[in-house]
This record gives sequence, structure tokens and C-alpha cells, in this order.
Amino acid sequence: MLTCQEVLDNLSCYLDGEGSEELRRELERHIARCARCFVVVDTTKQTLRIVADCEPFEVPLATSALLYDRLAHFFAGLL
Amino acid sequence: MTANRRQNFRPEEDEDAPLVERTLGGDQQAYEQLVRKHEQRVFRTAIAILGELADAEEAMQEAFLKAYQNLPTFRRDARFTTWLTRIAVNESLQILRRRRDAASLDDLEAPLQDLRPSRVEEWYANPERRYATAELKRIVEEAIRALPPAYRVVFLLRDVEELSTEETAEALGLSIPATKSRVLRARLMVREALAAHFEKPPTLRSRLRRATSMVRNMMAMAFERPAGRLGGR
Repeated sequence: MLTCQEVLDNLSCYLDGEGSEELRRELERHIARCARCFVVVDTTKQTLRIVADCEPFEVPLATSALLYDRLAHFFAGLL
Repeated sequence: MTANRRQNFRPEEDEDAPLVERTLGGDQQAYEQLVRKHEQRVFRTAIAILGELADAEEAMQEAFLKAYQNLPTFRRDARFTTWLTRIAVNESLQILRRRRDAASLDDLEAPLQDLRPSRVEEWYANPERRYATAELKRIVEEAIRALPPAYRVVFLLRDVEELSTEETAEALGLSIPATKSRVLRARLMVREALAAHFEKPPTLRSRLRRATSMVRNMMAMAFERPAGRLGGR
């Protein structure tokens, strides 16, 4: 059986769907009986879902406008 | 830039190749399309490294100008976006260098922190629904902002821009093991920060459940493992 540390070390692998079938089975066996690791694995999975869904650090419109202006000036200079 | 990092990449798989070709043929509108398509990723890269909006704006502009000027040297042994992200990283680091002495992403490396999670209570079901969209975004951005910059950029590229581990490594000039280790640490740190907002208050039952499972865990290991391997959990 994996230790809690081994579960943590392989957490990314597990969440990214990488690693062998055997490793996944071992990991699932551990979290089925370890409440602590269950919470860590489950909430890290939730973290990735929530972060991706809320699209953090979108380009502000004004920042885009500045970029397009700068490029337009640059291209005008090339003519 | 080891060969095996790129072994799976075939130039014809790069969906930007036609726009790149048209740009090289003098079509500025094609380049504008590339800019619109990738400005989000370049911005996230820059804001992750620099932290300040004004600096990120400067890095973003420089990156797109440099990419245009250097496009003839783009060797197509990586995706255009990976190459562009690498330029954005370098431009951001240059601005950072002007501000302080950090010379590379490694200098931004924070001392290795204890990885062991400290918040281990369950979260509410669908915890994100407990907050308004703008508030949730603020909470998430704050959690990411609190990461050391070297972790922030890895996290944004891997988990927000959803680059593969290999592409993240390539864009940042890091080895795959270093990238994986930073991704894991960043994920755990963001989890910890979000837990402060999303976890249920501890109950006697949740504590009891943890204690019981710890005992069960130790029993299982005692029976399954040779005695010599019992050390450390």
C-alpha cells in the first residue's frame, strides 16, 4: 500500500491521467481508506476545475487597445 | 531542448502554420490574427512573472514586436505558441532585471516549502457557487498572486492555459522534472489558499473519521509491508 507521501508525490500524475493502471489502482485503494488523502486529492481536483472555469487574469480591454495601437504604429513605420 | 522533448511534435500539427506563412509573406493582417489569438496567453505569462499591470503591458507589446521581427528565424521545431511564449518569458525577465537583480526564472525560485497539506477538511459541495462570479475570480486571482513568481508562471501555463507539461517546460526553458515539481507545488499551494474559502468547519465527526482512517492505514501497512519499510507516512 502507498504511503500518504507517495500519494502526494504522484498526485499530479493521477490528476493528469498519467501513470500506470497499477499506480492508479494503488492510489485509489489508499484514498478509499485514508480520509486525509481523500480530501487532498478531491479538493486539488476541484481547485483545478474552479481555476480553469473562472479564467483568471484576462487581458483588460485597455491593455489590448494599447497593444493594437503599438502594433499599428509599428506597421505604419514599416511602410 | 533535448530531442526527446520534441519527438512528438510534427510541424504540420501546428494550427498556426498557415498564419505564420502568410505573415512571412508580408501579410500584416495575418499577424494581427495571431496577436488576437494569443494575446491572452502572452498576457498571463507576463503578469505571472511581473505582477504589475504596467510592466505586463510593456512585456506583451515587446514580445509581439520581437516575435514579428524574429519570425524568419522561427525554426518550426516547436509550436508557434510555444516559441511565442518563450519570447514573452524572456521579455518579462528583461523587464524584471531592470527592476531588480533576478536574472532567470531560477532566481525567482522560492525556497522549497513543506508540501504537507495543512487544511484537510472537506469542502462544501460545488463551493464555487457560494460566491458571485466576480468575487470568485478575485479569490482565485488572489490565490495565484500569492504564489512565488516561478510557480505562478508554471501554474498559469499548465493549469489555466492548459499547455502540456512538455510545452510548459519548453516555453520556460525548464527540465520536465523541474516543471512537474513546480506544477505540483503550485497546485498544492493554490489548493491550500482556496481551502480557506471553501472548506467546511471541522466537526467532531470529521476529526474522528481522520483518526480512524489513520489507524486503519497504519494497520494496513503493518500487514502489507515488510517491517523495515514502515518508517515515515
